[in-house]
Amino acid sequence: MPKAFEQPFDAANIPGPKMATLLEKGRPVAMMIKKAKRPLLIVGPDITDAIFERILKFAEKGIQIVATGSAIKKFVDAGYKGNNVKYAVLHELTQFLLDPEWKGFDGKGNYDLVVMIGTVYYHGSQMFAALKNFAPHIRAISIDRYYHPNADMSFGNLWKKEEQHLKLLDEILAEL
Amino acid sequence: MVVELRKGALVVDELKNVSIRIGEIVTEEEEWAPMGPTPMPGIATLRNWDHFLLKRYRPFYAPYCDMCCLCTMGKCDLTGNKRGACGINLEAQQARIVALACAIGVSAHAGHARHLLHDIEHMLGKKLDEIPVDMGPEIAEVAPLCQLITGIKPRTLADLDRALKYVEEQIVQVVDSLHTGQEGSFLDYESKAFHLGMLDSLAKEIADIAQICAFGFPKGEDNQPLIEVGMGVLDRSKAIVLVIGHHAPPAIDIANYIEENGLEDEVEIGGICCTANDVSRYYQKAKIVSALGRQLKVVRAGLADVIVIDEQCIRADILYHAGKLGIPVICTNDKAMHGLPDMTHEDPDKIVKYLLDGNPGVVILDPCKVGEVAVKVALERRKKRGDDIGPVLNEEQFMNYVKSCTQCGNCTIACPQGIRIGEAMKAAKEGDRSKLEKFWDICIACGRCEQVCPRGIPIIDVLNYAAWNRIINEKGKIRRGRGPVRDSEIRQVGAPIVLGTIPGVIAPIGCGNYPNGTEEVYLIVKEFASRNYIVVLTGCMAFDAALYKDEEGKTVYERFHDRFDAGGVINIGSCVSNAHIHDACIKIARIFAKRNIRANYEEIADYILNRVGACGVAWGAMSQKAASIATGFNRLGIPAVVGPHGSKYRRAFLGRPYRDEDWMVYDVKTGQKVRIEPAPQDLLVAAETIEEALPLIAKLCMRPADTDRGRAIKLTHYIDLSLKYLGKMPDDWHLFVRTEADLPLAKREELLKLLEDEHGWKIDWKRKRIVEGPIRKYDPGFNPTNVERLFKEGFMTL
Repeated sequence: MPKAFEQPFDAANIPGPKMATLLEKGRPVAMMIKKAKRPLLIVGPDITDAIFERILKFAEKGIQIVATGSAIKKFVDAGYKGNNVKYAVLHELTQFLLDPEWKGFDGKGNYDLVVMIGTVYYHGSQMFAALKNFAPHIRAISIDRYYHPNADMSFGNLWKKEEQHLKLLDEILAEL
Repeated sequence: MVVELRKGALVVDELKNVSIRIGEIVTEEEEWAPMGPTPMPGIATLRNWDHFLLKRYRPFYAPYCDMCCLCTMGKCDLTGNKRGACGINLEAQQARIVALACAIGVSAHAGHARHLLHDIEHMLGKKLDEIPVDMGPEIAEVAPLCQLITGIKPRTLADLDRALKYVEEQIVQVVDSLHTGQEGSFLDYESKAFHLGMLDSLAKEIADIAQICAFGFPKGEDNQPLIEVGMGVLDRSKAIVLVIGHHAPPAIDIANYIEENGLEDEVEIGGICCTANDVSRYYQKAKIVSALGRQLKVVRAGLADVIVIDEQCIRADILYHAGKLGIPVICTNDKAMHGLPDMTHEDPDKIVKYLLDGNPGVVILDPCKVGEVAVKVALERRKKRGDDIGPVLNEEQFMNYVKSCTQCGNCTIACPQGIRIGEAMKAAKEGDRSKLEKFWDICIACGRCEQVCPRGIPIIDVLNYAAWNRIINEKGKIRRGRGPVRDSEIRQVGAPIVLGTIPGVIAPIGCGNYPNGTEEVYLIVKEFASRNYIVVLTGCMAFDAALYKDEEGKTVYERFHDRFDAGGVINIGSCVSNAHIHDACIKIARIFAKRNIRANYEEIADYILNRVGACGVAWGAMSQKAASIATGFNRLGIPAVVGPHGSKYRRAFLGRPYRDEDWMVYDVKTGQKVRIEPAPQDLLVAAETIEEALPLIAKLCMRPADTDRGRAIKLTHYIDLSLKYLGKMPDDWHLFVRTEADLPLAKREELLKLLEDEHGWKIDWKRKRIVEGPIRKYDPGFNPTNVERLFKEGFMTL
């Protein structure tokens, strides 16, 4: 059982006995990213401008990013030129992630750490559920404004405390 | 024992005390085509086809719940694909739940079809074998699904009854497999879900053909009249009968009663959901008030003097909400009786009095009695109210409610969309109601928010009040549901669809659980129709597409024609009418390619998967029927895109384009196995946003048999939609290029350069030709099949 968890953002979304460990600091996320051999940051469309500012900083640090839904347009509009930002349909991407044989966006292999932010909440929750149950090779964490019970670890519900959420993102960035 | 009597005389003489019973008299079936290999398939008959699909489009599971709670050995924790007490693992359990959803969906359609056959006999006073299946002079292939699946080409409704018995028997067989201790393979559960999906398509066809033939609905004629649609179209000065559901006979009786008694100027029929669509196919003065997603908004706005419900997608708490406004409810179907007294056999005037005395409602199971009761009640209640219906709240009440909101957020975490209702309340308190009005459309009116509000705010009423101007001015136009696609139309478009020069058939269908309101439905239709796709709509999406107007004030139904041809926007009809979309695809195989469709499911599905660029779009898929509908499309080789809520169905069918072994097909022309491009890449996929959905839908219209000209057109739209909505070229566009002729002409040089620079392809620049790079070379004679039997034995053509 996790040490601590919260009420899911979608209140009835209680998946079962295994729910995400609550993350209350940014630093452990940074450590996991640093420790991972193949980290992947999934960025969905439900992000504010302030969140996107931080995401651009993740991109500038060279982490492999995949923008889903219409999030890719934000990178295009921001004029981001790095080739570490790809586009994918999240549903399709998650299917690939389940396959240990998938070679990833760079042909070097699947990912061992998936970090998600900004996915349409309920859809992202389902993708976490797939990873939790069928991708033992991947650790999945949420750094979103919502508690995601199906992730391995997740920030809490910070959708009414946006400054606090941004502070956590800044904490991660400071360590990378 | 069967005794067959041939020409001659049978003399039975001097027999005493012998009883001779004649059961069913079976007349010899007209030999309309040679019988194919799979008449009335059982669970295992089409398993090979299913397993081919399941290998290419490996089921993807996103559990909605990690446990199983179906027997007393549980609850079992299946997290991490563990096995439960019965031995089932999480993967198979997900497939089992999907099969269960499909079983519920097909049962709804089959139950509806059965009920229709009973009602038709009762209302018309005729036996089923006295009612011919006559789909008009331009439709010889009257029931393609029935012909394909059962081998029966129905001549009367009695033949449809035979086909329906087959459906009913098969449902029982599959539901049996859902019991504890049956199937253990997720693949075989998916095969059973496919079976149910196929049966669902057949049940829908039976239901719609029966009502077309019995009630004289349109038989595929184009240029259908426009029907009014929207919450503002009701003439509130008249008595309003609001019909909700999917089973039209009671609503038809209401229309009959109004016409027979000359009450057209006094009584209005408005409808929600498919009953609305179907009654407007019978009675053009009927109005379509809303799709499912607005049901609670309509009821809570009090836009009814009496509510008549039949079956499916009706709110389970309809009595609670109607009761708040004192609107009586008449239940007309034994599937939804809401604890009310059954007064079917009472005198109509006695029932009217009972309802006018303030009782919440009654059950009337005889459709022929509903019209009189509903109309009389509505007329009497109309007399007692004012000439108009205004918002339920007044300004003071509205302001008191918005001021009482503490922004606790309980409503937001109860809301399926996560709408920030508190923020909008706060803005309204400060004088800005625009957020509430905007949220009014995004809200699917599920009512969960009201149940958790600690201040007891009636949030739906607050939203309705803020959006009242929008409500009363919401006046759209929709074509009347035209039913089937005519054979003559298929003769015109069969070739361009298969060659790819009509880039696809887009089918927006199903429920209203949209992620972001109704306007996205309009966008889908407008975008594809203006690109010369054929857009065929059914169910709730057909209504919601009609609510918006272009700069000239025209809805999509007014702007585009309703022929099954390039650039058409066609309201096919209700949920059961969407069988005609399957039928159109089957008829392309029959009429254009001359394939034998009789009891030949596998071959025709293979044909459609390889050649017919059709794609379903269930942007607000919600129900179990939507699950079985999509699964039926999928078995027939037609992909579907759902909105982001669709991932809660737990299962998708998603291809993996990087796995060569999944994309090998037989080429009948060369006798070789060929690695094809991932076309279509998925059979069932959820898009996260509309901007993502639009290019994805275009992508899923590509087929391996596209000609180079057709592929160039399809690729043009895929690239263009991606640039328009996502701001960039698709990352995978090059996978669909087989030859330079596949490239859009206007951009050919630019794209060749990209292929060289970004994908390492070799280009002969002198001749502007691709030398090396594509997955395969284009061969105009390419004749693909995924079925080894067909590769060896050939196709069944007529």
